[in-house]
Amino acid sequence: MLSRTAEYLYWISRYMERAETNARLLDVGYRMSLFPNPNGYNNEWESVLAAAGAIQGYKNKYNIIEQKKVEDYLFFDEDNPSSVFNCILNARSNALVVRTSFTPESWLAINKTYQEILKLKNNNFDASDLPNLTEWTIEQVNLFRGSLSSLLRNDGYNFLYLGLFVERADNSARLLDVKYFVLLPKPQYIGGNIDNMQWSILLRSLSSFNAFRWAYDGNVTSTKIADFLVLNSDCPRSLSFCIQNIVKHLTNLTCSPEKVNKIYNTLKDLNTKIQEEKIESIVDFGLHEFVTQFINKISSVDSDIQMEFFN
Amino acid sequence: MFNEMYQSESVIRNHYNNINEWLEKMTAKVINEKNAEAETHFRNIGITFSTNSETARERIIPFDLIPRIFTFSEWSKLEKGVIQRAKALNAFLADIYNQGEIIKANIIPKELIYKKKSYEVSMFGFIPPRSIYSPIVGIDLVRTNHNEYFVLEDNCRTPSGVSYMLENREIMMRMFPDLFHTNRVTPIDDYPTRLLQTLMSLAPIKCNTSEPVCVLLTPGPLNSAYYEHSFLSDQMGIEMVESTDLFVEGEFLYMKTVDGPKKVDVVYRRIDDDFLDPLCFNPNSVIGIPGIMDVYRTGGVNICSAPGAGIADDKAIYIYVPEMIKFYLGEQPILENVQTWSCDKNDDLNYVLDNLSDLVVKEVDGSGGYGMLIGPKSSKSSIEEFRRKLSANPRGYIAQPLLDLSFSPTLIKNQVEGRRVDLRPFCLMGENAQLSSGGLTRVAMNEGSFVVNSSQGGGVKDTWVLAE
Repeated sequence: MLSRTAEYLYWISRYMERAETNARLLDVGYRMSLFPNPNGYNNEWESVLAAAGAIQGYKNKYNIIEQKKVEDYLFFDEDNPSSVFNCILNARSNALVVRTSFTPESWLAINKTYQEILKLKNNNFDASDLPNLTEWTIEQVNLFRGSLSSLLRNDGYNFLYLGLFVERADNSARLLDVKYFVLLPKPQYIGGNIDNMQWSILLRSLSSFNAFRWAYDGNVTSTKIADFLVLNSDCPRSLSFCIQNIVKHLTNLTCSPEKVNKIYNTLKDLNTKIQEEKIESIVDFGLHEFVTQFINKISSVDSDIQMEFFN
Repeated sequence: MFNEMYQSESVIRNHYNNINEWLEKMTAKVINEKNAEAETHFRNIGITFSTNSETARERIIPFDLIPRIFTFSEWSKLEKGVIQRAKALNAFLADIYNQGEIIKANIIPKELIYKKKSYEVSMFGFIPPRSIYSPIVGIDLVRTNHNEYFVLEDNCRTPSGVSYMLENREIMMRMFPDLFHTNRVTPIDDYPTRLLQTLMSLAPIKCNTSEPVCVLLTPGPLNSAYYEHSFLSDQMGIEMVESTDLFVEGEFLYMKTVDGPKKVDVVYRRIDDDFLDPLCFNPNSVIGIPGIMDVYRTGGVNICSAPGAGIADDKAIYIYVPEMIKFYLGEQPILENVQTWSCDKNDDLNYVLDNLSDLVVKEVDGSGGYGMLIGPKSSKSSIEEFRRKLSANPRGYIAQPLLDLSFSPTLIKNQVEGRRVDLRPFCLMGENAQLSSGGLTRVAMNEGSFVVNSSQGGGVKDTWVLAE
């Protein structure tokens, strides 16, 4: 397989995953804006921008933070490199190049999404459309993922899934971090009712609320939710699940065993640690610090993959 | 005027009878549905071309539902004629890059060849595998009567359009399977396999495997034929590479893969000569593979088509193709050339200036139907404008009579009307010389128009060759 093909496949998955995360983030903001705020000030949109890593770009463009503008910036704006629109555009131009390396269904899924978002962009949308846009995005991404199931299980398949889980590991970690670091800057809120309510919204936006209920009995507490999203390897969005899958698809690669080993060695410790760790000790250590370390680690795995396989 | 469906005004030619019945049964509703279905299909598979237009990111070429049909015997003549021409063009290239016999025989003046930009000096004295310079030749033909065809131009570099030929058939079989039960249409879907066999049969001398590694070299997604590049490489099961994926080391060319370097034997290139090798051609080119020409000339890789093959489809050389056929093959040309006046000759120029309103004037280096004058269809002011251009730069133009292109039944607003068509079949030159069993039919969708180019309102049709 051409190095460039591997690279493009990797990035297609990343873009599709990122499109979904951004749509889900908008949904978090939307839901939170419907609840009374402790500060009497709607800062949820700022948090959403921060979580999407888009706050600087947004502020360069607008002076005030308001729902309509944030939605437009995160969903349609071509100036925002991570907007859902740009993610789909990028995924589609990558797919155009490597369409011969995956199934015709995968190409169709991405290309139809692209055709539709061009139309959506031309329609004026209303704030109340947001849940529909989110739902649409998730549907489209699911169509793409579903189409991958008929792929040959070769290296291309593994690069697609490496991209997916690297992106998801990063996104999940950032969402967690935003929750702790941005949504609740004042320590006295931690563990309070509002805190739990916001955690629940986070769960819902990750479409993990029901899953959480199945996995844990009793009260919804922040510790349980943190356990669920960090350590529970049954939860497909947890950091633990992502790491396991990165390891799995990395070691499934048949090309260049020495490169695979090299990257695997840098991942091994994190993988073992996250499988054995208890949530209490992470909270004692500081969730924010833990998550920051995690994000840095994922980012170095990402650059290793790019350097070893794509250059 | 000649309409391909009619024997005379009211008599339908035999091989169009089935289509005529089918057309009579088709309601406006079905036509609308099928048109929409075809458009959606083409958009979904992404068979689009980029335009400079601000309004649309990508356009699709209008597709007409009515196929254009050739009988077996009609096609046999075309087949012989096109293969004959493709052989002569390759023989010409081998000659002018070696002994230059045709120049010594005073058939073609040497300044027409050696002074041309498309004559590639670095090819001199080199003979590519099987002496094939142009393995895929696209010949543009028009029909003016039952048994009368003219060649409008030859395409010896990287003719495009074959993906439309294949996709048009694909959509027709999908939408109207019954038509293929009642008509014996020669299949064309083996074209990619034949293309791959052709490329493999052109392996370089240093290649020591029976299954040479072929790749398709594309300039990238911004190229208007990009869909075709990915389609063909997919159908052939070969890698589509950009020049950054390739590099030269020692005597060979390699592509960068996740497993490390992999040797490449045959490059089916869809980029221009200028962008092949910055060491040899355009030093400012950012795309290109430094050193590939050295590897090529020493037999480490084959480049298809050969650099410098473009001289053979130069508009000034076109005039001499019938002579070439006689000179190299000792045969009479089966297909006719259009009479052509080259304005760099004084007599010709004077004739052209006197008869501008009856002639078609083309830029020597023009393409896409731009920069041309169709005298009988033009206003006085544009004729005068061309008169000024011609007098200022006579070398830049040729002139031809306006041919009465044949009409083919075409659905215009749900009515069957005649529209003018041309034809581009594709000839493969490798171990065997063979013609595609069909081609790309382009149709001028505007009433009375002679211009079939997609950039100017042209559409396409499925092209049928009936089995014997």
